[in-house]
Amino acid sequence: MKTRNLSILLASLFVIAGAVFAAGARAEGEVPAPAAIGSTIEDFTLPDVDNKDRSLKSLAGKNGTVLIFIAVQCPVSNAYNERMAKLAEDYQAKGIAIIGINSNVAEDAAAVKAHAAEHKLAFPILKDPGNKIADRLGASVTPEAYFIDPNNKLLYHGRIDNARNPAQIETSDLRNALDAALGGKTIEKTEAKAFGCTIKRA
Amino acid sequence: MRFTKAIVPITLCILLMTLAAPAQKYKARAAKQRAVVSPIDTEALKGLLTQQRERPLLVNFWATFCDPCRDEFPDLVKIDKDYRPRSLDFVTVSLDDMTDIKTTVPQFLDAMKATMPAYLLNASDPEPAINLVDKRWQGDLPATFLYNEKGEVVYKHIGRVNTAELRAAIEKVVSKKGEGQ
Repeated sequence: MKTRNLSILLASLFVIAGAVFAAGARAEGEVPAPAAIGSTIEDFTLPDVDNKDRSLKSLAGKNGTVLIFIAVQCPVSNAYNERMAKLAEDYQAKGIAIIGINSNVAEDAAAVKAHAAEHKLAFPILKDPGNKIADRLGASVTPEAYFIDPNNKLLYHGRIDNARNPAQIETSDLRNALDAALGGKTIEKTEAKAFGCTIKRA
Repeated sequence: MRFTKAIVPITLCILLMTLAAPAQKYKARAAKQRAVVSPIDTEALKGLLTQQRERPLLVNFWATFCDPCRDEFPDLVKIDKDYRPRSLDFVTVSLDDMTDIKTTVPQFLDAMKATMPAYLLNASDPEPAINLVDKRWQGDLPATFLYNEKGEVVYKHIGRVNTAELRAAIEKVVSKKGEGQ
């Protein structure tokens, strides 16, 4: 009986130690590895700015979907507001949906809604409580884009273009990827490092 | 009576000069202390990071818009003060916009009383610079790298630094240098 109790105690300690180790394994500021190009992004459901649940499936475009991690207060993300609005305008007409995701813990749905209205971001924006989707996709900054095909296969990951300052744009990597996919061509550059503000995780 | 009339403006002048003097002194001191931020392009950054040097080099990539960067800065200033006399070079590279080079960036450095050499990445496309530093680094800030005298990375941390961990890494390179002498 004593041996059995000891075994239970040891097993419990092992489980607790494992949980503690798992919690501590992710160092502060460490972001999970980004989803690999070609991998499938599983469907997910997140609340929109009106706290209404929306699934990726219900918002997806017939020719693909772009998920962009955005922020309310980040000056880099804000430098892209007009470009994101234009992107949505240009590509939603071509069957590619644009979805914004805000994973910043300090920016609530009301702030995200007001910001979208102020900057005329006419595409759905979802809140990502607990940054679960940012973790799943390995998103680290804002703005950071993921382009998936109609079967949720990841085709492009990274920046929208090379420059925060629109006068210095040399390569519109995201648009190039979307145009290639729409034209049935191979996407030449499938990854380009996104630069911006670190996502403020919970 | 004439003397009494004259004494009022004279007293006022003296009072004004007395009040103005410290303000001017403060202004002069503030101007003197103002941090100078130099632009650095990708090639120059490559030279800075890969060259052989006499002292280990700590490089912190940051930006004024980055909360954890601002948060960790006082710790970094303290590290600079503690280890510069012990043969550590420390430079900061801001990834702010070039338009911030004479405004928000030096203002922040002044507020932090930071005196290490400060650069701002002058590149319309930051990706080559990010890849040059570390191919696995996604460009998220802050990012801190410690190079030994051969230009090899001996410590790196993406995100807010763990001060104890960084100090331990620095101790290894500075003490090694000390032992070799």
